[in-house]
Amino acid sequence: VAPRPEPAAPDRELTLTRVLDAPRDLVWQAWTDPTHLARWWGPRGFTTRVHTWDVRPGGAIALDMVAPDGTAYPMGGTFHEVSVPARLVFTGTAVEDGDGNPQLEVLTTVTLAEQGGKTALTVTLVAVKVGPAAAGALAGMAAGWAQQLDRLAEDLGRVGPVS
Amino acid sequence: MPRSPTTADAFNAVAEPRRRQILDLLARGERPVNAVVAALGLAQPQVSKHLRVLRAVGLVTVRGAGQRRLYRLNADRLKPIHDWVKSFERFWHERLDRLDDYLRELQDKEKDRGPTT
Repeated sequence: VAPRPEPAAPDRELTLTRVLDAPRDLVWQAWTDPTHLARWWGPRGFTTRVHTWDVRPGGAIALDMVAPDGTAYPMGGTFHEVSVPARLVFTGTAVEDGDGNPQLEVLTTVTLAEQGGKTALTVTLVAVKVGPAAAGALAGMAAGWAQQLDRLAEDLGRVGPVS
Repeated sequence: MPRSPTTADAFNAVAEPRRRQILDLLARGERPVNAVVAALGLAQPQVSKHLRVLRAVGLVTVRGAGQRRLYRLNADRLKPIHDWVKSFERFWHERLDRLDDYLRELQDKEKDRGPTT
C-alpha cells in the first residue's frame, strides 16, 4: 500500500484546542462580556477597543485592535449562533479594500466543554474569503509584534542586572 | 499588461474543493487531463476549466509530451499560502495564550478577595 501523500493544498480550516484552568462559566464570560474580551483579544502589546460585541444571533461585532505604534486594525462581523455557555458561532471580517469591502472573512466556532472543573476550549476557523488586500495584512501585524518584542528586549537590557 | 498572480489569487484558487482534489492528485505526479478526469469523475470541460484557473495563478504548469499535455503541480506557489496560514495560526495561539493568562488573573483576584460571608 502506497503511503498516503501529504495533501498539496492547505485546507482553509484550522482547529485549535486548549484546556483552560477555569470553570466554563468564567470562560464563557471572558468570550461574551466586552469588558473581559478587551483584556485578551488583541496580540500582546496591543490594546483592544470594543465598540460592539452584541452576543446574540444576528448581533454585530465592531472592534479595533490598536498596535503599539498606534495603527488600528478594525474587525467587524456578525454572530450566528449563541448557546450559553457552550457554543458561539460568528463571522469575523477584517481588512477592507478602498471601497470598504471586507478582504478577510473567517467563520469562527467556539465550543466550551466542562472537563473536571476545567474547560476544554475548541476554536475552529474557516477562511470563507481571502481578498487581495488580506495577504499582506497579517504580515503587517506580525511585524508589529516583532517590534514590540524588540522594544521589550531593549527595555530589559537597559534595566540591566540587579547588583 | 496582466498583473502577476498574488498569494490571494492562489488562495482563492484553492478555495474550490475540486481544485484542491486536483492539486492533491498532481502532488503524486504529473498527469494528462484524462487521468484527472478519470480520478475526479467530472466531465472534461469542467476539469479543463479548473486546470485553467490553477494555471493562471501558477499553481499548475503544463508541458507537451508528444501528443499529450501533462499537468504538474508547482508546489513553490503553495508556500505563500502555507506561510499565511502559519501566521494566522500563530496569531490565534497568542490570542489563546492571553485568554489563558487573563483567566488566571481573574481567578487570582477572586482568591485574594477571600471567601464572601
